[in-house]
Amino acid sequence: MSDSSAKPVSRRKFLKGLSQGAAAVATAGVAGGAMHAAATKPATESGEKNKVQYGMLIDLRRCIGCQACTVACKAEADVPMGVSRSWVEYVEKGRYPNVGRSFLPRLCNHCSEPHCVRVCPTGATYERPQDGLIVIDQGVCIGCLYCAQACPYDMRFLNPVTRFADKCDMCIHRVSKGLVPSCVNTCQGRARIFGDVNDPGSEIHKLIARNPVAVMRETYGTQPNVYYIGLDTTDENTRKPGQYVRVTTNKARSTKRT
Amino acid sequence: MEHHLIMWHWPMIVYLFLAGLGAGAMAVSGIVVLWGPTGEFRHRAALIARLGAFIGPLPVIIGTGLLIYELGRPFRALNLFTSNFWFMVLNPSPMNWGSWFILLFCVVATIYALTFIPWKALLSGERGERLEARSERLRAPMATVCVPLAIAMAIYTAILLAAVPARPLWHTPVLWLLFTVSAFSTGLSAIILVQRFMFRKPGAVRGAVRREDPAFRVTEYYLVSMKVLLIIAELVVIGLFIMFAHMTINSANFAVRTLLPGGEMATAFWLGVILVGLLLPAFIEGFYLLRTAVLGHEFEWPYVINVSAPIAILFGGLMLRYVIVVGGQITGPIGI
Repeated sequence: MSDSSAKPVSRRKFLKGLSQGAAAVATAGVAGGAMHAAATKPATESGEKNKVQYGMLIDLRRCIGCQACTVACKAEADVPMGVSRSWVEYVEKGRYPNVGRSFLPRLCNHCSEPHCVRVCPTGATYERPQDGLIVIDQGVCIGCLYCAQACPYDMRFLNPVTRFADKCDMCIHRVSKGLVPSCVNTCQGRARIFGDVNDPGSEIHKLIARNPVAVMRETYGTQPNVYYIGLDTTDENTRKPGQYVRVTTNKARSTKRT
Repeated sequence: MEHHLIMWHWPMIVYLFLAGLGAGAMAVSGIVVLWGPTGEFRHRAALIARLGAFIGPLPVIIGTGLLIYELGRPFRALNLFTSNFWFMVLNPSPMNWGSWFILLFCVVATIYALTFIPWKALLSGERGERLEARSERLRAPMATVCVPLAIAMAIYTAILLAAVPARPLWHTPVLWLLFTVSAFSTGLSAIILVQRFMFRKPGAVRGAVRREDPAFRVTEYYLVSMKVLLIIAELVVIGLFIMFAHMTINSANFAVRTLLPGGEMATAFWLGVILVGLLLPAFIEGFYLLRTAVLGHEFEWPYVINVSAPIAILFGGLMLRYVIVVGGQITGPIGI
């Protein structure tokens, strides 16, 4: 009897402990570098001190082009009709029967040397010191769209509702609470990995270190923090004569002036 | 790879044109005040300086107003000056520097224009005379400030565009020269156009200047020669502009194809900028200049041509801004 009365308690305790541990593991796995204590972090090779730099790694071998991230972003950030913060481009190439199709999920690269921040005349767009994300202060922005001209990735647009510049902010409202961005949360193939690029213990850091990765338009010197595994650099504008390439951006396009 | 949306629309195009025109007119006026002729041509020079000073600030103010209108929230534009003091001082953004330039230019150019108002004729008595004397004393010092400021304004309109590497058509070291030459040419044309309206009728007299004076015709001859020289300079700079981009590999080469035959902006560029804006006035005015220079004819020509040549140059200046602003936005970085 004493056994039976003691057993449920211990089992409950055991289960409770187990679930707590699992939750902690899950949170750590999901949040990546978010749980990391900055004080114990060793310096990285890049010489960037102990700076937290959130970034994303997109494993294109796992991307199926389902546009779930596009939809999640639209819903999460309440992006108005006709504009997009994030989308997946389809690249089709070749001649039958030798054809190929690849996907290119797009989002703000949250560059370490952002051109958009340099040209902003009011300081409305800036790099957050705590996590290296590029954000826009909608209270300071005048909507001149100089940043949109300066971005080599065409990520910025004029929000037709607020009339200010807008772009992907890596879901700062989620990541500052230890969650992952909405697109990462929803990704069906787990192609997107979010975390602190500078933290040697993080999953994203390990994957970047161990895999051949590429960033978009590296020659522009923007030092993007969105990395791709298996990036297809085929472009309509740089194709060879006779080569068939068709790119469908799937980016919302307003017919009205933006 | 991407759709390139046009984000800067006609207000930006008109602004770049008007700011260039205003800066050009102001620079011409200041140069005439500082180094202009004396003696027989004194009154004629004073008229050009006065017209330039009156034309100067107005287009810049209108253009800036258009830009603020395009923002949609006019009072937000004040953030350019009030966001953060230290940020202002250390801000590398050309638009921020430009805003201060525009503000300074509008204030200084307006004061400069006020010194040209004939106070004595407007206000009778001692007050008018005092203002007139003060204006004349102030004119040359203001001109010394105005000329560099106007040239800076003209350069700024190009630097604004040239500062962004993501727009390869703009990101070229030649653009500032192109816009500055065009600013001088359109500014001078505006002055010439206004005074051709003023002296439309034979025997017209404006102040101390008479249409029948030999000084009038000689000055006209020199002004038009200057304008043709500016047109030739602009053609050379456009040639350099295209050559620079065409000799570059990758994005700039791809971008300049929009201006070359077969490109999307080719018609506007070759017809609007080159033919109507540059070659046509150059040939018309060049013909009458050569007739005077070589054959010794009097420098006199039909009124229609007289007025249409500067209008064509102004149209060409506007088309140049249109081609560059739109062409820069429909092209972009290529490759991934």
